[in-house]
Amino acid sequence: MKKINILSLAVLLASGLATTAQATQELRLLTWGGYAPKEVVELFEKETGIKVKVTKSNNEEMISKLKATRGAGFDLVQPSQDRVASAQKAFKIYKPMDLSKIDSSQFIDSMLAATKGQSTVDGEVYAVPHVWGSSGLIVNRAIAADIKDYTDLCKPAYAGKVTYRLKRPTLIGFAFAMGEDPFAAYGDADKYKQIMEKVGKKLTECKANVKAYWSGGDALLSLMRSGETTAAMAWDAGGWKLNRDNADITFVAPTSGALGWIDTFVLPRKTKNEAAAYQWINFVMRPDIAAKITASAGNFTASKGSDDFVDAKAKAQYQESFSAKDIDNIKWYPPVPAGLEKIEGKILDRIKAS
Amino acid sequence: MGNLGANARLKLGLWLLLMPLGLWLLLLIILPHFELLIFSITDPEDGAFTFEFYFEFFTEPLYWRTFLRTAVMSILATILTLIIAFPVAFYIAKMLKGRSKGIVFAMCLIPFWVSELVRTFGWMILLRESGVISNFLQWSGLAAGPVELLYTDATIMLGLVYSSMLFMVVPLVSTLDSLDDSYIEAGYDLGGTNWNVIREIVIPHAIPGIVSGCIIVFMLSLGNYLTPVLLGGKDSLWFTEQIYTQFITRFNWEQGSAFGLLLLVLSSLIVWLGLKASGQSFTKTMG
Amino acid sequence: MSKHCKIDLACENISKHFSGFTAVDNVSFTIPKGSFFSILGPSGCGKTTLLRMLAGFESPSSGDILIKQQSMLDVPPNKRPVNMVFQHLALFPTMNVEQNIGYGLRRQGVAKAEITERVAAVLARVGLADSGKKRVEQLSGGQRQRIALARCLVLNPTLLLLDEPLGALDLKLREQMKIELKSLQKEFGTTFVYITHDQSEALVMSDQIAVMNKGKFEQVGTPHQLYYQPETAFVAGFVGDSNRWHGTIISVDDSSLMLKTDDGLSFRAKVAVEQKLEKGAKVEVFVRPEAINVSRTAHSEDDNQLTCTVQTLLFDGANSQIIALEPNSGGKITVAMPQTSDFVDLKTGDQLFLNWSAAQTLGFLVESENLVSAVGA
Repeated sequence: MKKINILSLAVLLASGLATTAQATQELRLLTWGGYAPKEVVELFEKETGIKVKVTKSNNEEMISKLKATRGAGFDLVQPSQDRVASAQKAFKIYKPMDLSKIDSSQFIDSMLAATKGQSTVDGEVYAVPHVWGSSGLIVNRAIAADIKDYTDLCKPAYAGKVTYRLKRPTLIGFAFAMGEDPFAAYGDADKYKQIMEKVGKKLTECKANVKAYWSGGDALLSLMRSGETTAAMAWDAGGWKLNRDNADITFVAPTSGALGWIDTFVLPRKTKNEAAAYQWINFVMRPDIAAKITASAGNFTASKGSDDFVDAKAKAQYQESFSAKDIDNIKWYPPVPAGLEKIEGKILDRIKAS
Repeated sequence: MGNLGANARLKLGLWLLLMPLGLWLLLLIILPHFELLIFSITDPEDGAFTFEFYFEFFTEPLYWRTFLRTAVMSILATILTLIIAFPVAFYIAKMLKGRSKGIVFAMCLIPFWVSELVRTFGWMILLRESGVISNFLQWSGLAAGPVELLYTDATIMLGLVYSSMLFMVVPLVSTLDSLDDSYIEAGYDLGGTNWNVIREIVIPHAIPGIVSGCIIVFMLSLGNYLTPVLLGGKDSLWFTEQIYTQFITRFNWEQGSAFGLLLLVLSSLIVWLGLKASGQSFTKTMG
Repeated sequence: MSKHCKIDLACENISKHFSGFTAVDNVSFTIPKGSFFSILGPSGCGKTTLLRMLAGFESPSSGDILIKQQSMLDVPPNKRPVNMVFQHLALFPTMNVEQNIGYGLRRQGVAKAEITERVAAVLARVGLADSGKKRVEQLSGGQRQRIALARCLVLNPTLLLLDEPLGALDLKLREQMKIELKSLQKEFGTTFVYITHDQSEALVMSDQIAVMNKGKFEQVGTPHQLYYQPETAFVAGFVGDSNRWHGTIISVDDSSLMLKTDDGLSFRAKVAVEQKLEKGAKVEVFVRPEAINVSRTAHSEDDNQLTCTVQTLLFDGANSQIIALEPNSGGKITVAMPQTSDFVDLKTGDQLFLNWSAAQTLGFLVESENLVSAVGA
């Protein structure tokens, strides 16, 4: 008994020392908007004494930044699951995870297993899941109730009233809606190119319907909120955010399936504060903290039990958008093989230039 | 002997003075471009020398058309800016005196106290379908329904001209300031009308300012990214956007580097042709 | 225009007020055709404003400007039969000499061949026949003057205005240009209106001079009249060199008056114009240095006589002057040094006998406002 007390005292002392030593420490986090809300950052800083420097970004920029510095400049990054293995193979910008430093009991088991499996390169695991969500349709149901799938955005009735991004999720979504399975063609470049050309043609025809290609979340929200557009292809969280102000607008899972993504935690190759990165991961995966992130980002996390802390409205919105069938129908992004971006890029350029 | 020492010291002083400029040129201009050049002629797979990224520009109509469109729009924006800025500059330099001159000049500067992004968003708020102007037109009964003024080439032009204005006004004001009033009066005195005093006396005098203003505005427009992307909407094609896309979303640095260098070379070529056509030389303009 | 139209320019009661001050105050004058008319005055006297009103760059607050009996008030500068040679000439630096001279002709829509011909002719007349292709900055100061004149004269203006064009030249060249300007004016027969603050320029070239002060014409007359019969103290002081004293009238008789200067000299003087002079009145007295007879031996008969000693010798060749001191009163007087052999060895402290006539001693009654300053001084 006494022995244990001394031990715990030593641990306490050590951790206290560590805390003071960490007072000047910094965690440079490269993440998405909403994933590191101020409240959570403050709680973390109070608990650990580690300053968190948050940089907001997106998948492509994260990879480009790390590519430019060969994996330096940040201590923890959050690319989507499908962008981990391919980017690691092509540019060697990440560092394997030491899973023993992570409290795996806080994760939903199936998600952790899926992410581990998809981010394994040469036997090393590179990513653990954080936030998941989907892309689908945001529809003003009062005006455009008949928009059920991506291709419905091209209906002449909605000319000049729809918006989507000119990025790869749009190509993939339209491909599924046109009856193709682009994920199945990931390994077959020719087949994939053929599908993409077909989609490109469709999107070129559809261009007249588009009011503007949105590029940032805020631009999308203001287009929908002002009524300038009545339907969009976008993230689920955006739809739910709009739903709080206008009950007519919400996220609709398309009949061909919403596109599911998981944003992960990955260590850059030249991370300078690996310990703080693990601390952050374990901290934000706590159910109560994870619920705060859900409130801020609008998407659910891979944290086990966090649903109990999420507000009822968010749960109701989720259930309204996704039936059990819709959830089964979610198309989860598999890792992107190298070279597909070039095919997609050309198609996107042509659509833009048409 | 002492003289020689002083001379050497003078030389050393000169070198020290030139050092920041030299370092700046080397580290921020020459080295990055050198790296771009290396990137653009290296095959990423095997590291071999290749010209494929340059061929890509000339063989894929999409790319050179985008460049051509960017260049033509930039030239147009330059001309428009000149036409609008010239009377403004003339008014500031010649009509106003003392305090009011400073105030009007400062008014031209005010838009530049906020960032380009904020300025561009300002235009979006004004011009969008649910924006201020559209609402005003509906309220006043001039328009039956919402009017979309955003997402057209004209909007891009508006944004470009607006954000370039100052860079045309400043060199024009300084050259027009140096034109003694007596030349203008002499022009009138000898029977000149407004138009030919402007054409034969004011403009020839202002040529160095016009040329340097045009070069700055053209280069700024050509290199602008935010304005065409945010105001242009779905049909906006801008070459810098293409470079950004190659670097950031395609991870295709080689192609991006080639585009970047092509932009540099081709825009320099256009400026050079413009100088030739207007019978000016670069040294004359800058000197 | 009819033959008897001999007056090229008439100004009738023109005034120009700027906020807070009056630049030109109710000025009237006429200039006969073909004459050289100068407006002479210190800087700030309003002469430039007056000239700019004639050119059309300013409009008078009141009054009328008539050129060949036609009012110019509503005629813009580019429509007036008037051309101006600017102070700094304003030759267009972006054009060569020919283009500069041809500018006005092109504005009139003259045919190209005729322009070439007329430009060549005027260049020949100003003696720069082969300078047509030169750039302005390749010309010397004097050549630029002539080009600036030619640029105006080629248009055959009724009136040529000149705004102190010789001011920027060095002394030698200025002397030479005075003569050249005068002969060009005679040759072309154009009416010149010339403004200057340099009395020598005005005296040498002009047929008529108006002396301007504080927005008003003090006197208009020939150079001779201004020099010998100044009508006001300002003119007497501004035109030519003078000894100038403040003094008090001691006695008045029919033809002259006796006065005592503030520094103690006593003279007999003539009344310059009709003025009511009484004993005890304050006057300003002017005597030109060259009007004083100087002798080293003895006085000759004259109205005024002084015995002085040489205090300072100001050697300036033919214009050398002596500052003499009247030992009893301590008063000083400047006289021209005679260039005769008598005075070659003159030195400080030598005795001099000065004498001059009352007719060359001009007295002006000091206006009350001037009196204050005179007393203050």
